[in-house]
Amino acid sequence: MEVLALLDCLSAPACLLSQAVGGLKIGMLLFLVASGLTLIFGVLGIINFAHGILYMLGAYFAWQAMELTGHFGLSVLIGAIGVGIFGLAFERGLIKRVYESNLLIQILLCYAVILIVDDLVMIIWGDEFLSSIGVPEIFQVPPLFIFDAVIPPFHLAIIFTSLLIAILLWMLMTRSRFGSLVRAAAINPKMLEALGINTNFIRYSVFVLGSFLAGLGGALAASERSIVSQMGNSILIESFIVTVIGGMGSIGGAFLASLIIGMARSFGAVAMPLFTDGLMFLIMVLVLILRPRGIMGEKK
Amino acid sequence: MLILKNVTKSFGGIIATNDVSMKLKPGSINAIIGPNGAGKTTLFNLITGKIKNDAGQIFIEDKNITGLSELQITHLGVARAFQITNIFPSFSVKESITAAILAKNHGLNNIWKRFKDHPAQEESKNIAAITGLDEVFNIQSDELSHGDQKLLDIALALAMKPQVLLLDEPTAGMGSEERWKMINRVKDLWKKTNMTLVFIEHDMDIVFNVAQKIYVLHQGEILAEGSPKSIKNNQNVIDAYLGGGQKKNEST
Amino acid sequence: MNVSIKDSFKKDAIYSVVSWIALLSLYFIFNDHGIQDIITKVAILGLFAMSLNILIGYLGLIAFGHATFFAAGAYTLGLFLQSDFIIEYNIGSWSIPIALSLSVLLPGILATIVGVICIRLREIYFSFLTLAFQMIFYSLILALVGITGGDQGLMGGFPKPPFLGIDLGIHFHFYAFTTFIVILAVFLMRQIIESPFGYGLRMIRDNHERPAALGFNIRSHQLLAFIIAGSLAGLAGSLQALLDVGAYPEWAFWSKSAEPLFMILLGGMQTFLGPLLGALIFELLNDFVSANTRYYGLILGLVILIFVLGFKKGLLDWIVIRGRKN
Ligand SMILES: Nc1ncnc2c1ncn2[C@@H]1O[C@H](COP(=O)(O)OP(=O)(O)O)[C@@H](O)[C@H]1O
Ligand SMILES: [Mg+2]
Repeated sequence: MEVLALLDCLSAPACLLSQAVGGLKIGMLLFLVASGLTLIFGVLGIINFAHGILYMLGAYFAWQAMELTGHFGLSVLIGAIGVGIFGLAFERGLIKRVYESNLLIQILLCYAVILIVDDLVMIIWGDEFLSSIGVPEIFQVPPLFIFDAVIPPFHLAIIFTSLLIAILLWMLMTRSRFGSLVRAAAINPKMLEALGINTNFIRYSVFVLGSFLAGLGGALAASERSIVSQMGNSILIESFIVTVIGGMGSIGGAFLASLIIGMARSFGAVAMPLFTDGLMFLIMVLVLILRPRGIMGEKK
Repeated sequence: MLILKNVTKSFGGIIATNDVSMKLKPGSINAIIGPNGAGKTTLFNLITGKIKNDAGQIFIEDKNITGLSELQITHLGVARAFQITNIFPSFSVKESITAAILAKNHGLNNIWKRFKDHPAQEESKNIAAITGLDEVFNIQSDELSHGDQKLLDIALALAMKPQVLLLDEPTAGMGSEERWKMINRVKDLWKKTNMTLVFIEHDMDIVFNVAQKIYVLHQGEILAEGSPKSIKNNQNVIDAYLGGGQKKNEST
Repeated sequence: MNVSIKDSFKKDAIYSVVSWIALLSLYFIFNDHGIQDIITKVAILGLFAMSLNILIGYLGLIAFGHATFFAAGAYTLGLFLQSDFIIEYNIGSWSIPIALSLSVLLPGILATIVGVICIRLREIYFSFLTLAFQMIFYSLILALVGITGGDQGLMGGFPKPPFLGIDLGIHFHFYAFTTFIVILAVFLMRQIIESPFGYGLRMIRDNHERPAALGFNIRSHQLLAFIIAGSLAGLAGSLQALLDVGAYPEWAFWSKSAEPLFMILLGGMQTFLGPLLGALIFELLNDFVSANTRYYGLILGLVILIFVLGFKKGLLDWIVIRGRKN
């Protein structure tokens, strides 16, 4: 572990600021993906182990849309909506059938879907890396220099977009009728059914919402990174960590945990580049041991 | 002798057991009655250490068992059967009882013997016989009738060779005839051993006929205790308990 | 009916010896390195899957980090055989038996530490915690480049000095030795599963609340099962390391833990040998599919879907249940 490197960075405003902005960007993108995972668990009671492929598909769909339209915003939107539709088919076609099954069956179903979709993606788009879809033109400007820290304006844009979506999501869950139905469904689905509310509808709309968010995360990420079928793996693992640390089913917890993990990643890369993953899992283990319900998880 | 001194337990705002004291004579047969939610099951949970009391003390003979674990209390001779049958679905009757006997004797830690050839299998036959499960001895638990599952639950408790046996609504979910059959079997068991037996029961006929002593529980408190005769004529009981019962009948 | 204790033990012992002889005959019947190696691989993977099934099928705990112990066994063996220790103390011909013993012991110790912490949690939380430990272990392997070779894996091979007339460099010796060790381990597992201890596991799986009221301490039982399963996975890992003359970080990655889950699903978790059959199907599928198409994942995924949504249970479970009904 390179403690000195970390101390150097923490005491230099340039390094501190650029790592912090980097961590914020990672954290916010992670939140988009993880919030869906935690929401799906909270309402449907299942862990979507295939959540990573939604992120990956978001990137591919956006890439394809960019090829066809050349418009960045539109492509990102198409990517996210496309994944939302995929999520609908996935839930209605497969997930629906294993709600009552045990964890092992659910894990294996998702594992199967990961294997299949990975190969389908390879068949459609080939197994070479695709280049990123690029940053929209208005952001193709020199980076900002704040306290000598190099900060690309586009990163700020991603942070603000994600933040905006987090706020919208929070409002949707706390201020709308849909939100209160979803929360009621998480606590007592039988009661809702007794009141004549279609819980099936709530289930798949939550799944679609979660898919849409993951797709959006993938599409936004595709602006700067190359696209490959395995790109969902590490974000899946990180989303698990976020879900557990934040408290399974808690959006607020996912937000906090995403920031923690984003920062751990960003500063961990300075302090112990080879053990950043290990560091995140260590945090997860500690949370599970000390507070199994997570930072903001509710008691069952 | 099982003694409870001022035992109290609350869950959040609800006081489930309020200042309950009891003295159960060795070898006696006792009933606890009271409406749903009166705290009967909670009382059993407290005695067996499944949950911890907030105040008060519990003794077996002279030993203070307050705060001991469920595991320890079981080994001190308190066994129970549950209101909602609590058995091992994939085990046959024979396997279930054998496993319970081994559990009691710490025999489940043995890696070198074969379960199927274990001498405890023979002993399980006796327990099945006295509980009337010999005819379904080789049937898998989840395929048993409701009544037999309840009996199996009791048989598991008997395998503990308990001094004190607590039965939580042994006749729950049965028709009148079946209820009597069950309670007579329980009474037989009690006669054959010198256990102290406590059962929770809603059927007043049964309670007044079988129990030597009755405790009436109401909102966590002991409203009355005594012989069947004294309970029958207790004005408090008639007001509160039978009154509550009537209200319930009206609403359903 | 009245079989004595020794008899059922003896019966299993005889089955084991007969199986080994049968496997040895297969070696000569097939006389083809390809097929012979498939049998060796199936034996190793089968041991891995069966060790996990102690937890999944008998104890009812979905452990999702079992590859931790597989990899721990593999690295223990490799690192020990590469160490100067052997030359310094002139262990020579004893190095393989010692290495194998260590590959059971160290993963067992690791499983004790991980198990003490994990079994406090239930269901999905248990699964997540085992997964987290696995990923920490994986990250450690990658990070400790100086010892483990990082993402390259344990390179440079290691010596396999002959012992007791067994030379693992000879193909037949390796085959006979591996199958012998696996059968021995399976025999042991059989004894454990059929013992009172094994029925204790089933009790916990069926109902984790009732045992306390029967005076049965399930914590220590669960922990011991976790340790046994971990040690045996370590043994499987060390055999794999002997086979490949190396050890790789992917063996500690989560997908390596998914493989035995898949084998258990294929073969069946309620039948003792189910996971072994699952390993056979898995290996054949692997070989066949990767020989005939690039789209390995597509085919494998479809097969899993068929099992998950169609059969809903493993092949051997299915056969046994059908057999009982008829
Ligand atoms: N584990 C628990 N947590 C919270 N409340 C409980 C718990 N167990 C029992 N209670 C409450 O305590 C009261 C008594 O319950 P119980 O002992 O089951 O009644 P009875 O067996 O007489 O029907 C009820 O109001 C019940 O809701
Ligand atoms: Mg009750």
